Amino acid sequence: MLAWSNALTALCMASVTYLTRIAGFAALRNRRLSPRLMSVLRVAPGCVLVSLLAPNVVSGELADMLALAATLIAALRLPMLPTVLIGMAAAALFRFFLT
Amino acid sequence: MQRRIEDLRGQGYPVRNAHFSLRTKSGGVKQKGRRFMETGSPEAEKQSHAIFRECQRGVAASFPVCIGIVPFALVLGAAAAQKGLAPFEVLFLTGLNFAGGSEFAAIQVWSNPPRVLLITFLTFLVNSRHLVMGATLAPFLERYPKKKVLPALFFMCDESWALGYEDANRRVSRGIRNAFSMSFYLGASLCLYGTWAGCTTAGAIAGPVLGDVRVYGVDMAIPAVFLVLLKGQWPGFKAAGPWAVSLAAAAAAYLFIPGSWHILSGTVAGLIAAYIMGGRDARLV
Repeated sequence: MLAWSNALTALCMASVTYLTRIAGFAALRNRRLSPRLMSVLRVAPGCVLVSLLAPNVVSGELADMLALAATLIAALRLPMLPTVLIGMAAAALFRFFLT
Repeated sequence: MQRRIEDLRGQGYPVRNAHFSLRTKSGGVKQKGRRFMETGSPEAEKQSHAIFRECQRGVAASFPVCIGIVPFALVLGAAAAQKGLAPFEVLFLTGLNFAGGSEFAAIQVWSNPPRVLLITFLTFLVNSRHLVMGATLAPFLERYPKKKVLPALFFMCDESWALGYEDANRRVSRGIRNAFSMSFYLGASLCLYGTWAGCTTAGAIAGPVLGDVRVYGVDMAIPAVFLVLLKGQWPGFKAAGPWAVSLAAAAAAYLFIPGSWHILSGTVAGLIAAYIMGGRDARLV
């Protein structure tokens, strides 16, 4: 079953995503963005990711914050897959022993 | 139809191919004849062989990446199922959107019913990196017609962009003139697409069977993905100021304002900081 609100949200997401995919190409076919806008665009995805992470950073749960710290250290040195596995293992272990 | 084949034979085309060409629905007989002469000529045969080889090369290059995205796809599917999405809805979402980061972000704030505007805005912000990626591909894509480029760009995700862009640059350094290989890019893209859509759906089906995945620490997978993505985008300490502003603003909003406003306030604060900093420090570009 496809609930209409879920379908609508998915369609809206898909539309704006496709827009971002073609807009960069379409806009920059013959032009260049101003340096200032380029610099904003460059850090924009990071701003979103950091904002999404903020609740984990200030969650106040010792086990989760320790696990996040371990994940951060792993992320600095390792590729995606090992980092995720370490993060999951750290979260499972810290939660098991500290809560 | 028989008469048409005779016509074609009269023009010197072999009938084996004529049958094939007549099955295409568009265009008149003349166009079919022309089409079919192209596919029949030795050069065209060589070219289609090259296209196939390029596709194969793309598939091979994307293979390790595909294996890498399987766990995230499963985690996303399971997380979506936890938020009440049916497997078919997950397929609908990931198959149409096909942008993992935005899907993780959306699922994180998904509610019943979902806040459409918030999620759409979030999706736009998370995927705004596509603007930069598309811009980097623009010079390579200029030699292709728009009706080819626009569908191809649907499949531009972080990984397919990275593979295609890297391949194009490598070919530039080898002195190849038309460096961007559309067949290579599409071969890689379609593998990634199938893996992503298929495995997110599988995750949605298998997720509920696994029960509460928090005890296994599975929910830490998403912050871990975000951290690795952030490391990949790290602009250096000086340029990371906007990220710090985002973090502070989002944390404050999360602690003091009920609801999911921390994402919007953090992002907007960071973008404003980036705009101000961008004017001050032109080296950022």
